[in-house]
Amino acid sequence: MKPRQWAPWVWAALVAVVLAHNGYLWWQQRLAPDTDILALLPAERRDPARQRALQQMIAAARQNLIVLIGAPDWDDARRAAAEYRKALAPYSELIDDSGTITDRRQNDWLESFKNHRLTLLTTADDRALRSQGRQFWLDDALAKLYGPFSGPRPLAWQDDPFGWFGNWLQQRAQETPVRPRNGVLSVSDGERHYVVLPLTLQVPAFALAGQQALMPVLEQARHAARQTVAKIEVIQAGIVLHAAAAAGQARQEMSIIGVGSLAGILLLIWLTFRSLKPITLVALSIAVGYLGALSISSLVFERIHLITLVFGASLIGVAQDYGIYFFCRRMGAKEKLDSWQLLRRILPALILTLVTTLIGYLGLVLTPFPGLRQMALFSASGLIFAWLTVVCWFPNLVQANSREPRGVTARWGMILTHWPRFTSEWRALGTVLAFVGLIGFGALRLTAQDDIRALQNSPQELIDDQLKVGKILDLATPAQFYLLRGTSADALLEREEQLKERLDVLIQRKEIAGYHAISNWVPSARLQRERRQAIEQVILSDEGALALLGKKIGADHNWLSAARARLLGAAAPQTIEEFFKSPASEPWRHLWLDQVGQEHASIVALRGVTRKSLPALRQAATGLKDVEWVDQVGDISSLLGDYRRYMGWVILVSYFIVYALLYPRYGRNSWRVLVPTALASLLALALLGMGGQGLQLFHLLALMLLLGIGVDYGIFMQEPDSQRDGAAWLAVGISALSTLLSFGLLGLSNTPALRAFGLTMTIGIGAAALIVPCFRVASSASPTVR
Amino acid sequence: MTRRTLAGCLSLIAWPLLGAAPVADIQAILAKPKVLCGRFDQTKQLAGLKNPLRSSGRFCVVADKGVLWRSLQPFAQTLRLTRDEIVQWQGERVTMRLDARQEPALRLVNSILFAALAGDLGQLEKHFDIDGVVRDGAWSVKLKARDTGVAKVIGAIALDGAAFVKNIAIDEANGDRTAIVFSAIQTGDQAINSDEAALF
Repeated sequence: MKPRQWAPWVWAALVAVVLAHNGYLWWQQRLAPDTDILALLPAERRDPARQRALQQMIAAARQNLIVLIGAPDWDDARRAAAEYRKALAPYSELIDDSGTITDRRQNDWLESFKNHRLTLLTTADDRALRSQGRQFWLDDALAKLYGPFSGPRPLAWQDDPFGWFGNWLQQRAQETPVRPRNGVLSVSDGERHYVVLPLTLQVPAFALAGQQALMPVLEQARHAARQTVAKIEVIQAGIVLHAAAAAGQARQEMSIIGVGSLAGILLLIWLTFRSLKPITLVALSIAVGYLGALSISSLVFERIHLITLVFGASLIGVAQDYGIYFFCRRMGAKEKLDSWQLLRRILPALILTLVTTLIGYLGLVLTPFPGLRQMALFSASGLIFAWLTVVCWFPNLVQANSREPRGVTARWGMILTHWPRFTSEWRALGTVLAFVGLIGFGALRLTAQDDIRALQNSPQELIDDQLKVGKILDLATPAQFYLLRGTSADALLEREEQLKERLDVLIQRKEIAGYHAISNWVPSARLQRERRQAIEQVILSDEGALALLGKKIGADHNWLSAARARLLGAAAPQTIEEFFKSPASEPWRHLWLDQVGQEHASIVALRGVTRKSLPALRQAATGLKDVEWVDQVGDISSLLGDYRRYMGWVILVSYFIVYALLYPRYGRNSWRVLVPTALASLLALALLGMGGQGLQLFHLLALMLLLGIGVDYGIFMQEPDSQRDGAAWLAVGISALSTLLSFGLLGLSNTPALRAFGLTMTIGIGAAALIVPCFRVASSASPTVR
Repeated sequence: MTRRTLAGCLSLIAWPLLGAAPVADIQAILAKPKVLCGRFDQTKQLAGLKNPLRSSGRFCVVADKGVLWRSLQPFAQTLRLTRDEIVQWQGERVTMRLDARQEPALRLVNSILFAALAGDLGQLEKHFDIDGVVRDGAWSVKLKARDTGVAKVIGAIALDGAAFVKNIAIDEANGDRTAIVFSAIQTGDQAINSDEAALF
């Protein structure tokens, strides 16, 4: 039986299986792509506690929206804030305003420490208690007693004669510059007074509907504030704002770029073929490819990452080549040539185009990076499915058609006769030298840019506001912190205390401003015990500081025993469970991770981290058991760097393998297939360097794709008959134009990753298509094929 | 927080211009010297303690600069209140330093303070309800913080005087009471001695 009899049916059966599998995936398994960027990390870098820590830090931030309303005059700020809140009030199902500080809330807050306040000491008081004797404390207490300003004192003197609890509260208060004032939260930056509104979203931050409802409400509230005080400053910060901006931008770009490229491609195909059949069939081959890739990937990988799907869309760029080539050759071929005979004639070229592209992806499958592996498998399987669709179905679906404008290929062929050809003449040498100079010039200017922050695509205004809020509120960084583990809650607290000793040194050296930790609020049992012992010895004993103090101020014995009893009454052991029941714990709960199995884990977060302090912070964790420094920004950036370097090597090696694959068919002309793509890639790199663009992963992903596509062009042009009828040149032209219309337009995107990708594709594909004819063999000597 | 004691200090310095019900009347009675120094006698009555605690010393108010509070008996201790910070010394040793930029409450108190020194009665009335009487060139007022939270901590403050403040009484919510009597008031550049001037 001939292939033409069985191939279409076998393929149809396979496609049916793929369709069924896809149906199962989408409807039964509710296929939801993974959006967690951490899933792309190599396996050994991931561990569950670390992931929970990150998720908890991010989740704590995700639903929050912080609004600062400020003016040089506090009353102006208050009035404007009141109007702002009034405007939000009707939308409590969207956003919850918890900015009112009631007396009761403040009381509850203090109440929770009442029974254990004796062992709540600042680092300085703790140190003094261990090193100083009773005379020191006597002097200290008397100074406080007689001084006009005894320091912060939330309690009556007799409840806190040494001011410890007051000092401790003061230290806790200094973890944040936010203060209650006139029943609201306030903060001041020296020039302005701000009302702080901590708002909580009642809809998911990433849900489109919620965003669309929320944004006008916020704008309305801002307007209300402006109406009250004209020069009011309203600063908003929250993940939802970035999400909404990104969604809005994506929508806008999708309509401009998407519609633009679709319309452009349809017009192009219509002008060329006077029929939309080619585009329908090419789209069919791509669709089968995409669905096949999904099936295979979901069989191999547990979950499919969103980035894979997005990058998978770039399959179109390569997969369309097979279909377009077939159409062009069909149009260029004689009518009496049967489509299956035509296929047999172009099959070697088609096989080569597929195999040379697959080589690159194979290199990626072998990487240790799950993200790249998934993308590679997805792309490779997609290409195979698209390719098989063309080979098995197109001969039956595309027949010779006398109505086709056969003149098109001839006219395209005419262009070629005027195209310059690379020869070994002097003139060519000049061109080569100029080219080498240009590339060298650009390459010298090329730098690497792996910083994840460079990929941030929020509007500058939002980023500025976010930074400003972070600075005014002195917020801890969510992406850099310590992760600690312990076998029990108490062991974990002790570990935190060990780490904090080192961090105190860094605070003194001004490397950081401070830290947040649960052990700031609940000392470990051991520390509580030690402090209590020291207090009993130095302060409460018969000859202790309290007794001396009593004598000095002329208090009687009753006073002494009463005071002693009061202090000891406030020395009950404090547990973490108890702390979490109090309202004081609310802002800090995210620092304590839920227990998993026997493992407890917690976070020590940092304020005032600068780039300069990162090495010292990393250093602080070394040598401490079960303390890990997590720098998410640094980790992702270095991951992107690893990906970029790996990708660079894969591309380089791919060129050699592709050359080896081409050699059996094109022999000593093989270089002519490969060189245009190589030159186009170098040109793209040089132009990026000259444009001051830092080289990043997405540029290289584009170069990888360029290799796949560019070599196709080389193969088309190198095939026999390709120059005579112009069909191959037409295929190159259409493929290049439609690739430019789809990926090239991505260069207009405001999303840095897409822009980098699109820009590289535009330069590379444009250059490859223009350079490819320069390396065709002389028309007198028809290309030889072995 | 620091409000109670600060308010005590504040009312000391704020005295020259403390507005009473007839704010303008009191303002007319009060002298407004650039430099003002004198003796203070402080009596603290603490909850649970029978005997009152007495201390005394010198104080100085310098317009546009701040306040110096020097306890001499039974302890030598100096406190300086300026727009940006509060510093306390025992001898040469700094025993406390609070930055007003870090503590907005402190800043608020300082701003009230300086507003008072500058004769800005409007500022004071923003934060306190002022209730008082004027009779025969002497006056007395009761201050109550408008913010309920602050009022709860500070309790009630009472002042009386004539050209200068004579008495301040602070009743705290927790039962501790402080009374301060001023005497031997001097004004003008000669009032402040060189040691004191050096501290500004």
